[in-house]
Amino acid sequence: MFFLSAYDIDTQGLTKSFGDLKAVDGITLQVGKGECYGVLGPNGAGKTTTIKMIHGAVRRDGGRLNVLGMDGTSHSREIRERMGLVPQEDTLDNELTVYDNLWVFANYFGISRRQSRPRIEELLDFVQLRDKWDSQIKTLSGGMKRRLLIARALIHKPQLLVLDEPTTGLDPQARHLVWQRLRELRRQGLTILMTTHYMEEAAQLCDRIGVMDGGRFLVEGAPRDLVRERVGEEVLELRGVEKEEVSGALDGLAIDAEQAGDTLYLYCTNGAPVMERLMAAGKRDFLRRPATLEDLFLRLTGRELRE
Amino acid sequence: MIRRDLIPTHRALRVWVRHLIQYRSFYLAEWAGNFGEHFLYLLAFGYGLGRLVPSLNGLSYAQFIGPGLVVSIAMWTSSYESTFGAYSRMRIQKTYEAMLSAPLSVGDIVLGDLLWCATRALIGSILMMIVLMIFGLIGSFWAVAVLPIIFLEGLMFGSLGLIAAGLAPNFSFFSFHFSVVVMPMFFFAGTFFPLKGLPPWMQAFSEMLPLTHAVRIVRGLIIYGHADSFVWHLSILAGCTIVFMMAACAAVSRRLVD
Ligand SMILES: Nc1ncnc2c1ncn2[C@@H]1O[C@H](COP(=O)(O)OP(=O)(O)OP(=O)(O)O)[C@@H](O)[C@H]1O
Ligand SMILES: [Mg+2]
Repeated sequence: MFFLSAYDIDTQGLTKSFGDLKAVDGITLQVGKGECYGVLGPNGAGKTTTIKMIHGAVRRDGGRLNVLGMDGTSHSREIRERMGLVPQEDTLDNELTVYDNLWVFANYFGISRRQSRPRIEELLDFVQLRDKWDSQIKTLSGGMKRRLLIARALIHKPQLLVLDEPTTGLDPQARHLVWQRLRELRRQGLTILMTTHYMEEAAQLCDRIGVMDGGRFLVEGAPRDLVRERVGEEVLELRGVEKEEVSGALDGLAIDAEQAGDTLYLYCTNGAPVMERLMAAGKRDFLRRPATLEDLFLRLTGRELRE
Repeated sequence: MIRRDLIPTHRALRVWVRHLIQYRSFYLAEWAGNFGEHFLYLLAFGYGLGRLVPSLNGLSYAQFIGPGLVVSIAMWTSSYESTFGAYSRMRIQKTYEAMLSAPLSVGDIVLGDLLWCATRALIGSILMMIVLMIFGLIGSFWAVAVLPIIFLEGLMFGSLGLIAAGLAPNFSFFSFHFSVVVMPMFFFAGTFFPLKGLPPWMQAFSEMLPLTHAVRIVRGLIIYGHADSFVWHLSILAGCTIVFMMAACAAVSRRLVD
């Protein structure tokens, strides 16, 4: 049952409930060959559940799921043979050394010990853990474990790499290393699906992103385009200012204003005229900056904490 | 309809290899410990307690109890590995979760674990048989034929343990498994005393325990080199094993796949 599809991941109406809770609510997600797609969304949005359905650890309640041209239910094993997964939670084998972790995992794919050896060395270099090859997992730092998980996910040269929050908990150096590696993999033609809570990460790496909340996608598109369309080009942040205080001064300008706590956010295409008006109205305490993905994210999903 | 992912394949061996690799790091200490333990067991029960016991059908108590210990050790080893060991791999270490992100299925994982339980049971029993040999308690070359029986017994108790591991909400649940499943078989399967002459209801109870049948085969083979009603006992062991294995697959799957 092979379908000729332009997409390496192709879902339609994908649904999963846990009891009364609709964790994933009929999503359509299409990731093209060689594309890097990022899923953003607050805690509990349904990102991990979506990923688990893709590799078969969670059975979907409904919808169509096609991965690498194969049906997600009937060909789950064949799909996993050709995709790599970096799970959100560390699933390294704590009872084995770094090297044994990789070769035991290679063996799960039917790769012999002799065949796997050069590959393991190459991957340990790739994630800069070569000198740790004989270490016990519990002696590794959190960032080293994340890197090792990435190496493990690549052991069988997958066509599709799925990463669930690959850089959570990493220091800036380690994060930049992971970004470089992911860009390198993308150049090699790998299709990548990732989730992240770091907007900069999504902006740097992803061709397209989707913002998820409550089990649905709110918007989808190229990060720059989305920000431009939904937020604007520039943001002005005014601390300790109420909306009403400046609404008169800003009359007639095409801007979106949003109050959050003690801060007023003004979203606009061009910040210069807005700035002039504010100065004229005697408001000098503001910050002018380019609009970012974070603005988009917060505008879409609100500023309240999720539980 | 049976789900495809519950049917084990040859890939179960890859799971077994993982356990073997992990075992490499501690097996020597364990063997030494087991060997010493078995030795003490036989001395205490066979010769210490044995002095008080009259000869049983012409057998000394040590001769009688030796094969029983071989069978019990297999049961205990396999039960520990499949309850505490498997639960920790399933719920704490997330070893199974990693396997499921590779091309292994629930069926492969269950069979791989069972093969491993049986392997460890076999190792424990072989160590006990070496002790028996040292004491001159092995009566026939055909004692080697107990090895596949012990392996089968290991699979059976591994399956029972995995069922418990699949159902267990936490580690304390296993004390229930050990007191309801393992201990009754330990005491009433004819390991420590002959079943003949017990009250009829106790005999009937013992006949229902699968371990009783393993004890009979193993005792026969170790002492005399053959076992009466071999096919009957073997069929019961094999039948129970198959049923328990299927239940184990279902129980583990419940835990691993949402
Ligand atoms: N096994 C489960 N049983 C019950 N509810 C679950 C289960 N797994 C997830 N959920 C619920 O489904 C919803 C989506 O969870 P999911 O893990 O997919 O979120 P997420 O987007 O990955 O969040 P995070 O950013 O915190 O990782 C949450 O409300 C969560 O509580
Ligand atoms: Mg998640």
